[in-house]
Amino acid sequence: MSDKKRILIADDSEVVTTLLVTALEVQGFEVAVARNGQEAFEMGKDEDFDLAILDQLMPGLLGNEILKRWQEEEIALPTIVLSGVEDDELVVKFLQIGAVDFVRKPFRLAELIARVNMHIR
Amino acid sequence: MQASVIAVAVVFIVAAALLVAVVTLKWVHRRRVKRSNSRRAQYIRLISQHLADPGSVTTLTQRQSEDDAFIDAVIDVRNTVVGSSVDRLDGLVDRAGLISLQSARLRSRFPLGRRLRAVVSLAEIGDISAADVLIEHLSDHEPEVRIQCARGLARMHHTPAIDEILERFNQETPWVRSRYADTLQSFGKTAAWPLAAFIRVNHAHADNVGVPEAARVLGKIGEREVGPEIAELLYTVKDIEVGVAIIECLGDIGGHAALRPLRRTFMSDEWRLRAKTATALGEIGDPSVSPMLYMGLSDPSWWMRRNCAASLAKLPGGIDFLYDALESTDKYARDSAAESLADTGELIESRVRAEEGSAEPRHLRLIAHMQRTAPVPS
Repeated sequence: MSDKKRILIADDSEVVTTLLVTALEVQGFEVAVARNGQEAFEMGKDEDFDLAILDQLMPGLLGNEILKRWQEEEIALPTIVLSGVEDDELVVKFLQIGAVDFVRKPFRLAELIARVNMHIR
Repeated sequence: MQASVIAVAVVFIVAAALLVAVVTLKWVHRRRVKRSNSRRAQYIRLISQHLADPGSVTTLTQRQSEDDAFIDAVIDVRNTVVGSSVDRLDGLVDRAGLISLQSARLRSRFPLGRRLRAVVSLAEIGDISAADVLIEHLSDHEPEVRIQCARGLARMHHTPAIDEILERFNQETPWVRSRYADTLQSFGKTAAWPLAAFIRVNHAHADNVGVPEAARVLGKIGEREVGPEIAELLYTVKDIEVGVAIIECLGDIGGHAALRPLRRTFMSDEWRLRAKTATALGEIGDPSVSPMLYMGLSDPSWWMRRNCAASLAKLPGGIDFLYDALESTDKYARDSAAESLADTGELIESRVRAEEGSAEPRHLRLIAHMQRTAPVPS
């Protein structure tokens, strides 16, 4: 078993996942990718991760639905929501249902990496 | 008999050959798309590597730089990240010579599709070094190219382009002009004073086709500081379309400075100017115009009466004027006031109060008016 911290990235955008996987691997993290909501929910439930980065709009399940289900299953996985949603109420809702942070797309890569480091420490 | 068999055979062979050709072309196209997508994914990885670890990507071959899949990857990443990552991406774009390559393609005599791809790339990448070539092609003979140039200039927020776009505003076709208008709006408040200057210079001029569009954009931008300057133009405007657009703009940005010239257009012989003024006065929201709007409820124009009533419903204390109008001797004033009161929920409120026994006489008058004017069921 590796000592590396494990991060789950759930996003259906190839550009976002490639960028994050590359940047996080350079930082020394081990990264797994889920391409849709259902896959993200199951990976978060069945595997051990130290942090998740979750998109809101994904096929299968929406980001807030995944967070809610993880909460119901008592899965304590620190999650950063990375989304382009403009609705402030939804952002508040993310934080109420267990997200530790919210980053708006398009995003600052360096800032996101800094937030990951802060939450995973 | 034999001839007809031969004819059928020929038709069959030709049809089969065509079918094979179509299937082959589709297969080739799918293969090309698949290969292009695969190369695009590789380039996204390469660019990601460059952003995550700036020293890691040192060389790009000429073939990579010229590959459309590489340009697509740059655009995809450019739309995903902001901040210092964009600066790093720009460094890579510079090294690949992407801007000069696409600029050369845009200037070439290539078919429109190829030139459009070049200009869209320049617009999407939004690198400031492409500003000159985009300004140059605001005079391109192809309207789609001109539109993409303006979009790209707005995307890089290149403010000198505002004047360049406005210079071409009156000469453009309505389609291009409306797309230019969207572009100017995306410049935001930076475009407000140049737009105001354009309107001031052209509003009384014979060649003023761009002025109404410019006034509407200015209203949407919502920069109130230019309101007084635009309000003054109402004293010298001649063209009705221009007047209507300026009045509409004043509803958004005019403020108190616009009240005096708007009181004048409220009395215009032209019903469109009067009706638009009534709406603008409601948008400005100053209740001192309520008595004037009350008078407008008896105007000969149906639009004017309707707009006056709708504006009164928006103003503080305006509802009282509408209830007073129910007692007017003018049937049209009564109808437009009642309609506006119904639109604002006063009719429902009146009925609820009547059922509860707490209705005032004016509520009962509204209910009675609506019952009298209700259509007879067929």
